[in-house]
Amino acid sequence: MAKSSEESPSRRTFMMVVIGLLTAIVGVGLAIPIVGEILTPLFKKRDIVWAKLGKVSDLENMQPLTPTFIPVYFKVKQGWSVNTLPRQVIVVKDVAGKLYFFSNQCTHLGCPLHWIAERQKFMCPCHGGMFNAMGKVVGGPPPRPLFVWVHKVENGTVFIQNKFLDNPKERGI
Amino acid sequence: MFKKVQKWFDERIELTETINEFNGERIPRSGGWAYTFGSLLAFLFTVQVATGIFLLFYYVPYFPVARDATYFIKHNVLFGSLLLGIHLWGAFTMVFILVVHMARVYFSGAYKKPRELQWVIGMALFSFVIVLGLTGYMLIGNENSWWTINVLSNVAAHTPFLGGFIRILARGGTETSTLAMQHIFAVHVWLLPIAVILLIPTHLFLIRKTGHQGMAMEYNKSKLPDDNIDKWKHPDATVPFFPDQFYKDMIVAIVVFVVVYLLAIFFVPEVGPVYNPLALHFAPEADWYFLANEELLKFFPGHGLIIFATFLVPIIGFVILFALPFIDRGHERSPFKRPAATILGIFFLLLIVYLTLMGGEPKAPATI
Ligand code: HEM
Ligand code: FES
Repeated sequence: MAKSSEESPSRRTFMMVVIGLLTAIVGVGLAIPIVGEILTPLFKKRDIVWAKLGKVSDLENMQPLTPTFIPVYFKVKQGWSVNTLPRQVIVVKDVAGKLYFFSNQCTHLGCPLHWIAERQKFMCPCHGGMFNAMGKVVGGPPPRPLFVWVHKVENGTVFIQNKFLDNPKERGI
Repeated sequence: MFKKVQKWFDERIELTETINEFNGERIPRSGGWAYTFGSLLAFLFTVQVATGIFLLFYYVPYFPVARDATYFIKHNVLFGSLLLGIHLWGAFTMVFILVVHMARVYFSGAYKKPRELQWVIGMALFSFVIVLGLTGYMLIGNENSWWTINVLSNVAAHTPFLGGFIRILARGGTETSTLAMQHIFAVHVWLLPIAVILLIPTHLFLIRKTGHQGMAMEYNKSKLPDDNIDKWKHPDATVPFFPDQFYKDMIVAIVVFVVVYLLAIFFVPEVGPVYNPLALHFAPEADWYFLANEELLKFFPGHGLIIFATFLVPIIGFVILFALPFIDRGHERSPFKRPAATILGIFFLLLIVYLTLMGGEPKAPATI
C-alpha cells in the first residue's frame, strides 16, 4: 500500500504537486474557450455598408447654413443577426453651395445633438458641448469638430457609409 | 414533538450547537445601531435576487423587445409594477446604503490592521454592486438605456492604449446593439450576482475571524496602547449577535423595506419609449449615482483633458479607496484623534453630494 502523506513528507510534496497540476489543467482548459469567447468581438471586422440618403437635387434646394436632419438606415450584420441601424445625417449647405454630411453624435462622448435655431448652434444635452452650423466646436468639452459621414454621389443620389471620415480611433457611431 | 425533531438532527449533525455557534458571535455592545448597515446590505441584496429572478419570467434581453417586455411587466403583469418597483428602489437604496456603510467603517477606522481584507473585499463588493446598477439601467431597453451603453462605452474608449479594445469588448461588437444587450444581460444576471453571492460570505467570514471592531468608543476602558492590535480585538463589552444585534438589524431592515415598498407602490417611473437613435430632442440622463462623475466631465474640456474626467480622476480615486488600509496606517481609531482623515472624509462626502446635485441640474438645451 502507498504511504500516506503523514508517513512520508516526499509523498506529501508529490501529492500537492499533482493536485496543483490538475487544478492548473482544469483552469487553463476552461480559460481557453472563455477568453476566446470574450475576445471574439476583437476579431470581427466591422460590417461596412452603404445606405441611400436622397437626391442631390433636393438637397441643393436647402437654405444655406440651415441644418436638416435626414435619417438613414444601415443594414448591418451583427453576431447572428442582421439589424437595421437607424442613424441621423445632418445635411448642411455652406454659403458656396457645398454640401456637408455630419453625424448628430457629439464628438465628446456621443450624445445626440439638438439644433437650436434661435442660437444657430448645435447643443449637446449631456455636458453642454456646442457646435456651429459648420460643425466647429464653439463651447464645452468636445475635442474635435463634428464627425463627417463617408459619402458618395452616384447618378444624382447621395449614399452614406456607416463610417466617419478622419476618425482613426473609430469613435462615435 | 419539536424536541424530538431537534434531537433527531442533533444526534446526526449537532444542529443546535452549529446554530448556537453561528448566532453567538460577540458584537461590541454600545454601537449596535451603527452596525446594522452591513446586514441591511445583505438583506437588500437578497431582495434584489428574489425580485430579479422573477422579473426573468417575462424579461427578454433583445433591444427592440426589451423595453416592451419591461413595459409589459409594469402594466400587464399582476403586481408587476410592484415587483419592478422593488427591484428598482431596492437597487437605489443599496447604492445609498453602501455609501453609508462605507462611511461608518471609514470614520470608525475599522479598516485598519487586522481588518484590511474586510475593506478590500468590501471595495470589490462596492464595484460589483455599482456595475450591477449600471447594467440594470441598460437592460430596460428604453432610450436612456441605449444612450447609456453608447456614452459609457465611449467613456471606456478614453482609457489609454486599450480604450478602443475595451469599447469593442464592452459592446460585444462594434455597434451598440443585439450583442451588447446580450452581454450586459449575462453580466447583470449571472456573472456579477454570483460574484456578490460568493463575496458576501467571504466578507462575513473575515469579520468573524478578526472579530467585529465597531467604533472607538467600544474600547474606552482598554489599557492597551492604540498600536497594539490586541486592543482592537477586545471591546469593553459585547453582546451575542442573536438576538441582541439581529433584533436591531431586523428593525432597520423592516423600516427600509417599508420605505422601498411604498416607493415601489407610488413612484415607479414610466418605462419610456423604445430607443430611437433618430430622436431629435432626446436628452440622455445617467442614473443618479453617476451624476457626480458626469458633472466632472464638464470640467475637463478639449482633447488632452477629457481623459481626466473619464479615466484619471475616477481611477485614481478608486485605487486610493481600494488601497486605503495600506495607505492610512496610523493606529488611532477615534475620528477625533485622526482629524486629517476625518476632515478628508467629510470633504469627500460633501464633494460627491455637491457634484451629484450639480449633475442633476436640468441641462440647458434639453429644456429649450
Ligand atoms: C454588498 C455589500 C456589503 C455587505 C452585504 C456587507 C456586509 C457587512 C456586514 C454584515 C458587516 C458587519 C456589520 C457592520 O459593521 O455593519 C460588515 C462590516 C464591515 N464592512 Fe461590509 N458589507 C458590504 C460592503 C462593504 C464595503 C463597500 C466596504 C468598504 C469598502 C465594507 C467594509 C467593511 C468593514 C471594514 C467591516 C468591518 C467593520 C468592523 O469590524 O467594525 N463593506 N459588512
Ligand atoms: S457628450 Fe456632448 S458634451 Fe459630452
